[in-house]
Amino acid sequence: MKPLTKQQLVGLINSVDATRDQELNCADCQNFAAEFAERQLVGLPLNEALARVEQHLVICPECREELLALKKILETSG
Amino acid sequence: MRAGFWMAVRPLLAKFHRMVAGEINWVEALQAADNAAVLGELRAILLNGLRISLRDRHEVSEAHLEDFAQEALLKILERLNQFSGRSKFTTWAHSIAINTAFTELRRKRWRDVSLDALLADGRELNEPATMADDTFGDDQERVRLVAVLRKAIAEKLSDKQRAAIAGSLEGLPFDQIVGLLGTNRNAAYKLVHDARRALKQHLMDAGISLETIRTTFAE
Ligand SMILES: [Zn+2]
Repeated sequence: MKPLTKQQLVGLINSVDATRDQELNCADCQNFAAEFAERQLVGLPLNEALARVEQHLVICPECREELLALKKILETSG
Repeated sequence: MRAGFWMAVRPLLAKFHRMVAGEINWVEALQAADNAAVLGELRAILLNGLRISLRDRHEVSEAHLEDFAQEALLKILERLNQFSGRSKFTTWAHSIAINTAFTELRRKRWRDVSLDALLADGRELNEPATMADDTFGDDQERVRLVAVLRKAIAEKLSDKQRAAIAGSLEGLPFDQIVGLLGTNRNAAYKLVHDARRALKQHLMDAGISLETIRTTFAE
């Protein structure tokens, strides 16, 4: 295995740091993605369920990638 | 004839404008028997969203985008009763289209990796050659953090947990890791979740404060 870059190691440690006993899985995260993206874009506070989305995004690069893409659409198309 | 055409079309156009503005019930309109025009409108909206989100992915052709939009449309119709109304309908629909497209694009990125190779990477994960003490510089506290993490990976995790983490660090799609481990998404997620919990506990037991971690990585 190639030596880990600083960025890879930061990703691993951040995901360990963000670990909670109760977490959403990717399907749960996707169910909340639309609401989360809309609220985040206008700076509305997140309720408990949406805070768990935020946590999932730290540990899951794939959901993070999809949420960024969704926000890009909302920002571009208004 | 022409005037008649516009008379007929105008209310439809107005309906679409209201729909886009979120004033019309998409779910109802899509469930109606004469939903062809609404389907066409939603397909166009999804396609536009996919063009925006995949603009930088040069390997993705217009034909791919149309396939993704069509596939997403079918999923949306299947899941109409799951729309909660907590967001705009179109945002929810875009989220399904993005998931459809990204899942497929990740599948195309699957690399030729065997389970043996993945397990071997997992075994190497906690070696100093892979995770160097001075990755974050030679500050004592940071060197110790990396050393403790390496020890935790070596002592607290199973072969499969190390392999899953190594694969994910190397950018393997999660579904590919799931396939290689011969399990399902939920079980693989639990495997990795348990691993992260064990590592976190070990860091805390070793007196590595979360504060140290945050200040180290805020830079
Ligand atoms: Zn996820």
